Amino acid sequence: MTNRLCYVCEGGDCTEKGSGDVFDKLRDLIREFDPGEERIKIRRYPCFGACDQGINVTLYPDKVFYSKVTEADLPAIAAHIQGKGAPVTRLTGKCPPDVEQIIWDMLDSPY
Amino acid sequence: MSIVDLEAKIPNNVGLRDNKRLMMALERWQPKFLDWWAKLGPTDFNQDQIYLRTAIGVGQGGWAHFDYVKMPDYRWGIFLADGPADRKIHFGDQLGENAWQEVPGEFRNRLRRLIVTQGDTEPASVEQQRQLGHCCPSLYDLRSLFQVNVEEGRHLWAMVYLLQTHFGADGREEAEAMLERHSGDADNPRILQAFNYPVNNWLDFFCFTAFMDRDGKYQLASLAESSFDPLARTTQFMLAEEAYHLQTGENGVGRIVKRTGELMAEGKDPRTVGAIPLDVVQRFVNFWFTGSMDLFGGEDSTNAAESFANGLKGRYRESDGIYKDPKALSATYTLEVPTEDGKVVTRDIPLRRAMNAVLLDAYIADCKRIVERWNRDLEKLGVQQRIELPDHKFNRHQGVYAGFRFTPQGKPIDEASWTHQHTEWLPTQADRDYVQSCMKRVIEPGKFANYIAPPQQGVNNQPIEFEYVKFH
Repeated sequence: MTNRLCYVCEGGDCTEKGSGDVFDKLRDLIREFDPGEERIKIRRYPCFGACDQGINVTLYPDKVFYSKVTEADLPAIAAHIQGKGAPVTRLTGKCPPDVEQIIWDMLDSPY
Repeated sequence: MSIVDLEAKIPNNVGLRDNKRLMMALERWQPKFLDWWAKLGPTDFNQDQIYLRTAIGVGQGGWAHFDYVKMPDYRWGIFLADGPADRKIHFGDQLGENAWQEVPGEFRNRLRRLIVTQGDTEPASVEQQRQLGHCCPSLYDLRSLFQVNVEEGRHLWAMVYLLQTHFGADGREEAEAMLERHSGDADNPRILQAFNYPVNNWLDFFCFTAFMDRDGKYQLASLAESSFDPLARTTQFMLAEEAYHLQTGENGVGRIVKRTGELMAEGKDPRTVGAIPLDVVQRFVNFWFTGSMDLFGGEDSTNAAESFANGLKGRYRESDGIYKDPKALSATYTLEVPTEDGKVVTRDIPLRRAMNAVLLDAYIADCKRIVERWNRDLEKLGVQQRIELPDHKFNRHQGVYAGFRFTPQGKPIDEASWTHQHTEWLPTQADRDYVQSCMKRVIEPGKFANYIAPPQQGVNNQPIEFEYVKFH
């Protein structure tokens, strides 16, 4: 079982912007090349706190923080996850670094 | 995907029709619950039509239905998240074994205590908030209050289902007792002290839902990892509803902070226009945040170690695989410990004994995120003042810091200094009187009391000026 994670924010703002559909579609794209979650697990996350920049999607331990994600961006994100594409830089760097760091601090468990 | 029976007297996806004994037990309990709601819920609003979300399924999309409902007619149901039939235990001493569908005898008492303690908080919060509707800042917020209330009622149903299904006569007695204890009752209070205080103003309510319900989220999340599969699946679905409660609190405090910031940016003194100064908000944040940390239990706890070892409670998001050792046997946790001579030293304890502290750390990081979110609004408005999260050692009544005095910055102080300064840090009666004086009832659709900014958007794609409550 892999420890690589893709989290899609399901906080209030991101949900209003359609993160439920983004989750479903990204999960379907990932399942096409990784049906058994052997390469990455995709999960919902309650809120990253970068609400103004939603919809937010993170990759861990890659520590990639995608913001303002739309359904049109999902094939490129899936290709990055699959290793067939570069990080989608047009979606990174939009979230304040201190906000990004909070989520990495939570996931970087020393235990 | 489980089959949802919405036509049953008690909506459910647990096959209640095929379990007559359980159905009869729950149908005996149902009128007692309705009687409790009629007496101790938000009773003065029972005849009003509220635009409420009702759970009708457990799928990831479209699990809820929105419509006008009188609260006593709300369809409180029993829903468990779907899960794999062959779920394995993923932490603790029994790692890799099959998850339990029945309660193991050796863990019966401990599991029952966990479920009863969680369950007792659900009706408690409804009782605490029962008068709040009379001073609502808007119809939007009034609806939010009632949404939270009916779903806390459903969460009680969820815990009662587990007790009645898996704990026999003891469980039935516990289910009755949860309707007999009452918040603030001198003779038969709620189990956790924080659930015995009245919540009579909306700053308290939003702080409660931001911090206390967030504690609930972390407790539920740790139970959602449980090796007792019915408990894990029950709490997973509760978390879906709980997210709205946290959002209500997080956004509510944020909207109060934003409104005060807007007035300050206009050069107005918030006190002269019925708004709440940031120093008052800070003291309420201090009070509720520290009170919520006490609910996590002792930072160094053999009980917590046993609950983890036995597979009853996991760490936050344990099943995501973010922890290095699912047995937590090899690591230690460095705990700050106060000493009698007024110092703080560090002590390494076995990680299993620190499970409450590990869960608390995740909670604190989450709270840090929401406070920073509030502060970003102040920054945008050009207001210099900020809300700060106090240190985890400040104003604690449970755990290793209980009985010691610290400043909000975490500096040890003596009792005399505390006595002299604590009114700067925690709400005074004057603060409470002032906040109460701001609580003007606003029920015109789209209008808001002057101490709170409107939300970013309405509920379920409805406009903010939607008539969320129709009074009879």
